[in-house]
Amino acid sequence: MISKKIKNIFHAVRKEALKNKVQATLSYHREKSHLMRIGNNSVSLNTSEDLIRMDIKVNIGRKQGTHTQMGDITSETYAKKALHLAIEKTKNSLDLDFDPIPDVIEEDFVQKEQYDKKLETLDPAFKQTAYKKIIDTFGSGYNFSGSWSSGSTENFFITTQNENEAYHLLTDQNFSIVLKHPKKMWELTSTQTGWRKSDFKTNGTIKLFKALIPVYEKKGGFKVKPGKYTIVLGPTATAEIMEMALWTGFWGRTWEEKRGWTTNKKPGDKVLGSNITIIDDPENENTFKFKFDMSGKKRKEFHICKSGILKNLMYDSQTAALFKKKPTGHNIGSMSMTMKSGTGNSSFLKEIKDLGTVLYIPALHYINIPNPSEGIFTGSSRFNAVLIKKGLIVSPIFSTRITDTFQSVFGNVKTISEESVSVNLSNTYGRRSPVAVSVPSYMVTEGIKITDCADSF
Amino acid sequence: MNEGIKKKIIENIDKLLAKKAEYVDVRLVTEDNSESIVLYDGNLEGNDTTFENGIGIRTLFDGAWGFAATSNLSKLDECFDLSFLNAKSAAKLVNVPLKMGKKKGHTGSYKSPVKKDPFRVNLKDKIDFLKEIDKNLQEEWIFKRYISANMQKKNQIFFNSEGTIIDRQLTDIFATMMVMGIDNDGEMQRRSHELFSYGNGTRGWEMLTKPDLFSSHSGRIKSELASLIKAESLKYGKKSVILLPGQGWLQVHETIGHPLELDRILGYELSYAGGSFVTLDSFGKLKYGNEKLNVSAYGGFANSPGSFGFDDEGSPERDYLLIDKGILVNALTSRAMIREANEKAGRKVFSESGGAARSTAFYRAPIDRMTNVNILPGKDGTLENIISNTEDGIIVDNPTSWSIGSNREHFHFGCEIAWEVKKGKKTKILRNPTYQGHTVEFYNSLAAVGDKSTWRVGQVDNCGKGEPNQAMELGHGVPVIKFDNVITGERK
Repeated sequence: MISKKIKNIFHAVRKEALKNKVQATLSYHREKSHLMRIGNNSVSLNTSEDLIRMDIKVNIGRKQGTHTQMGDITSETYAKKALHLAIEKTKNSLDLDFDPIPDVIEEDFVQKEQYDKKLETLDPAFKQTAYKKIIDTFGSGYNFSGSWSSGSTENFFITTQNENEAYHLLTDQNFSIVLKHPKKMWELTSTQTGWRKSDFKTNGTIKLFKALIPVYEKKGGFKVKPGKYTIVLGPTATAEIMEMALWTGFWGRTWEEKRGWTTNKKPGDKVLGSNITIIDDPENENTFKFKFDMSGKKRKEFHICKSGILKNLMYDSQTAALFKKKPTGHNIGSMSMTMKSGTGNSSFLKEIKDLGTVLYIPALHYINIPNPSEGIFTGSSRFNAVLIKKGLIVSPIFSTRITDTFQSVFGNVKTISEESVSVNLSNTYGRRSPVAVSVPSYMVTEGIKITDCADSF
Repeated sequence: MNEGIKKKIIENIDKLLAKKAEYVDVRLVTEDNSESIVLYDGNLEGNDTTFENGIGIRTLFDGAWGFAATSNLSKLDECFDLSFLNAKSAAKLVNVPLKMGKKKGHTGSYKSPVKKDPFRVNLKDKIDFLKEIDKNLQEEWIFKRYISANMQKKNQIFFNSEGTIIDRQLTDIFATMMVMGIDNDGEMQRRSHELFSYGNGTRGWEMLTKPDLFSSHSGRIKSELASLIKAESLKYGKKSVILLPGQGWLQVHETIGHPLELDRILGYELSYAGGSFVTLDSFGKLKYGNEKLNVSAYGGFANSPGSFGFDDEGSPERDYLLIDKGILVNALTSRAMIREANEKAGRKVFSESGGAARSTAFYRAPIDRMTNVNILPGKDGTLENIISNTEDGIIVDNPTSWSIGSNREHFHFGCEIAWEVKKGKKTKILRNPTYQGHTVEFYNSLAAVGDKSTWRVGQVDNCGKGEPNQAMELGHGVPVIKFDNVITGERK
């Protein structure tokens, strides 16, 4: 937890900013991160990082600049020096041709409801024991690899606009394991996420592998011919496609600049299928919850797409200032994107028993967007992907490429699972910044284009 | 260097050796500066600096790595202890012990060739320089303009338990300019240019201000965009594809560089980045491409973000072939990975580390990365020669999208622009070009490799890999390359 001494230093720097007649936002970011990697049935890396960053944003009229300092911020002199660096660079910068919206913490925020000391201080032996149990269950004839990140992220920030403080403390974990057949080369995976130590269940992974291994051991890979297919998208695939669709279709900046697939639409227009509803819901337990964004704006349930209708676009404060709109609480920070569940039986195999040939693709590797204006994305299947006929799993499929549009995938959804699950979309480039979304456990969508398939997994 | 810290580091290394650590290395980063300036439609939307310092310690104990890092140097001793404890804990689950082998300690230093330190150029001058380019990009019909410069400087001292001490001062500079316009269908098109080099010269502020490398391209990208927004879309089909170096570097990066990282080949990256279709048995045998394909690592370039003197295990950079006349002969390697690979293969596949163990920051442990991965110039002449020998094809430049199979066995790329080639002549510009293929089949359809006049070094500042993730800087020297029978455009 942030010490009183560091808080006092931040307030002293705030006073210094006021004395210099500049607007400033001062943020503290501390991460205590642990990550264990597995490779070739062994722990290949066991790493701990304890890092503190001070982010300073300065506005002087229409000029702005930011400076981030990592290192010794337990010294007031050092922290003030960082402020003066930011002031100096701001003074030497250019006037923007719009009035920036200053950060204002709307009320005092303290949020630590998703903090678990047991997870923050998790002994690496716990992870090593769990990995060992999984490996021992299936034997070292398979090649196991994976990673398990856990830790805490602490944010504290104040501004010169008022005396309010915002504080957020969160723990999170992101577990993954890959089981690979050393000769046949197929790969299975299991992932788990959550903010509590107890969110991880070793048996959950063991159960999943036990169900899938017989299918993969019995049958060779199936090469899918290019064409249109009914596809069951699993939660990770749904989450990743949704994330890309949001960036290119529902961000104010993309829309205002005519760079996305909703450019020719406006709020109130139908953009996706009637069964698709997407909300940014900071109260959703499947996500990492933030009551405020990094401009200090209070966050509440925000409807983005309701029953296929574009309801609202997301504006960070810079975009809002530029296009004379109101910020919507979407300055960087964890968002809680939620795709509403449907009425489909929680077992997709039961739901699709009358559908004939279906591909189950739970995750897509390396999705990208060749044409954001047309909403075209592409990515290929990898783990746990199978061919299903009449509700029965027939065989695993080789690495299979989908190239289609967001409008098609979310416009032709036949069934959505009644069950919602959490998918961790955090990356660990730079600082720890946990993000999870809530999506249905599966989605059956029709007429999806398969454009290529490899001869291998 | 502060002698007190140096003494403390060496004492702590000795302390861990006394506790039976097999090997310890330390990266002390005294300063890691970055500066990013972004002009968007003339507005200075990015004016950001970052300063980092700290220490990262890696300990090998009983065949397992432990790593710990801290930004608080007053906690140096605790950080060493934690690194050791992490290794000890990791060692409880070891089936394939990692080994570094024995090397003689050495000292060394490296400094990126720089005439004018970009961090000593005042901000106003930097902004003025970019503003001038922005002015040249302005036209009534251009919808958006973007210019960015990203400068990095890192001072780092490496220590290991073999007595090696390496001092490095690395400076890099990256820049992009882009213009965007609305096409006939109301869709956004873009044309961009990235700062590049010919592998020689220096890489300070003077590199960015050299007109032929950056600013003089503003007129070209504007005029290409003007045609692009009136062009028709590329249709689905099969034809020759000529990659200009602006696209060729990405092709090499994704389908030669990544699959040849030895840690991927050995299965250490499966849960995130993926594996490789290359196996240990492939070396010396796999016909990766036809005999026109010659690929090197490092290349001895003075000026590239992939030239750094010594890697993050203290190994010197090496210049060697990865693919020799189409045959796969080597990989991008680090010390522990080559030992494991040789043991697994039961033969000496790799003779020494390729000097490719790299970490992006003091708080990340080194992993196998690209240095400079290059296609060597060929004998098929200039771009014009290659065009004149093409019956039905397209020329493509600059990536917009890349999606690659998890074992790098297949790929799909989108580009900013294509020029149609019919009967040896460049005819018209086409928009929304894409192409796809299967890696080995693709490189075996290599039909032409341009000469030295077509070759340049593309700079990469955002290669992502690893867990925790690491974004790395590197380079690719690539000539114009042509491939036959490639699927282009999107299937309807």
